[in-house]
Amino acid sequence: MDNYLPLVVMLVLAVVFVFGSLVTTKFVAPSRPTVAKQDPYECGIVPSREAPQRFPVRFFLVAMIFIIFDIEIIFLYPWAVYHRELGAYGLIEMLMFSVAVLVSFLYLLSKGALDWGTVKKVSPLQPLRTSESSIRRVGLEGRPSRPSEVGAP
Amino acid sequence: MGDPLQGGDPIFIGGIDFGVVALVVLKVLIGFTFVMVGVIFMIWFERKLIADMQNRIGPNRAGKWGLLQTLADGIKLIFKEDLMPNKADRLVFRLAPYLTVAPAFLTFTIVPIGGLFGTGENGTIEVFGYRTFVQVADPPIGVLFLLAMSSVAVYGVMLAGWSSGSKYPLLGSVRASAQMVSYEAALGLSVVAVVLLTGSLSTHDIVSAQSGGFADWNIWRTGVVPFLVFCIAATAELNRPPFDLVEAEQELVGGFHTEYSSMRFGMFYLAEFMNTITMSAIIVTLFLGGPDGPSLFGPDIIWPTIWFMGKLFIFLFTFVWLRATLPRFRYDQLMDLGWKRLIPLSLAWLLVIGAIRIADDEGWNVALVIGISLASCVVGALALVGASRAGRIRRRAEEALR
Repeated sequence: MDNYLPLVVMLVLAVVFVFGSLVTTKFVAPSRPTVAKQDPYECGIVPSREAPQRFPVRFFLVAMIFIIFDIEIIFLYPWAVYHRELGAYGLIEMLMFSVAVLVSFLYLLSKGALDWGTVKKVSPLQPLRTSESSIRRVGLEGRPSRPSEVGAP
Repeated sequence: MGDPLQGGDPIFIGGIDFGVVALVVLKVLIGFTFVMVGVIFMIWFERKLIADMQNRIGPNRAGKWGLLQTLADGIKLIFKEDLMPNKADRLVFRLAPYLTVAPAFLTFTIVPIGGLFGTGENGTIEVFGYRTFVQVADPPIGVLFLLAMSSVAVYGVMLAGWSSGSKYPLLGSVRASAQMVSYEAALGLSVVAVVLLTGSLSTHDIVSAQSGGFADWNIWRTGVVPFLVFCIAATAELNRPPFDLVEAEQELVGGFHTEYSSMRFGMFYLAEFMNTITMSAIIVTLFLGGPDGPSLFGPDIIWPTIWFMGKLFIFLFTFVWLRATLPRFRYDQLMDLGWKRLIPLSLAWLLVIGAIRIADDEGWNVALVIGISLASCVVGALALVGASRAGRIRRRAEEALR
């Protein structure tokens, strides 16, 4: 375990470095928080909604599929180190294992689990999309209810 | 090479006494300084080079040629107000910079940055009566440690975005995590080919197995494909262009660190460039022989470090060059490239290399083995194409129902 000593020392040094910098900032930087500064960043608009706490399930799927592949990779490492000693037996075992993983991977692909976005091609120029309709869609809060009122004095 | 699990720095052979600990601390400090100076140089270099490529002048005020620009920026950041959004999860928000910076420093420790390999010295030098490797640490599980650290880095990004309690950071961090874990699989699979040829996970052993000169470098011995896969996956892992969807300014403002300011932001910025340097160093170590190269004149001992820096520099330049040249990927293209191309490709390549080596050992007909391997690769590729086509048909049917 001696070989891990430098890693521990480096970890301590890195943490001390971050902590030191942050503490220095705390002492020398001004602290004048206002409500506007502490609001979530929203490109200048006053945020009207809570940040979404949910995101598409597809991201969870990727994370789960990753775990399967990560386990496969972890199984490959010991074989890679000792493949000479294991010989033909190890190779055939590895091939069978890879085929099993490949089949499950093919199943995922055929379910469309790793596809993103729509399959249908959407033409980028739709006649329905004008500057007026875009404004309508993006942010109606805080705006006059009809775009024609914008120019009114 | 000896027993693969027995690698390790000769400094620890005589047990740990005060001198050993002092030397370890000295080595860590040198490594730390190397990384910090490297980061300061790299940020300047990137800005200057991008400026040149875009016909601008770039930083030129602080110091000669603007060399001190990074330092000036750092000092400025220290004096800036440190804000925390009121919706933030305060503990996790504070924790995230640590989780990002610590892996960046730790990964660099396993990179051999000098020492003569292929001679009796085997990459060691003598300092104060102790014999030691010219690398900060040589854990016997070196390559696994690299993968572990890149997994921990995902936590830093994910938690930073999630804890901000804000829209854009959350979107940026979710994207970042999905991208980083996807390419981590490809990264891991391409390194297995190197481990297969070396028979050891220790970075020191990997470098000393390549010390026979140019033709012995792993880039040739693994047949270039793992090298290319590793480079692409490393770029994606670093969230650098053309894989920088994580901080696509046009849609996500600053990505996962939008809500960070002052030195907390500075930490993410540092870690990003530190990771660039470390990843380049890892590519050099795994595939380009690390510090391997001929000594030309003068003392032999300085040449490995010069060669290492030279190779490192090529990759740093290439990363900046890519950023100046390539447009960003679309998200579905990014995921397709990672999952449907790089992962199957590197897995198949690895199994073919393994089969050839076993065939060599067992005295099978190598040409026949290669033929069977290629045939099975073609079958596998066809199955992949068929499966993704089936997936598309299924999804089109689902969309029609909606």
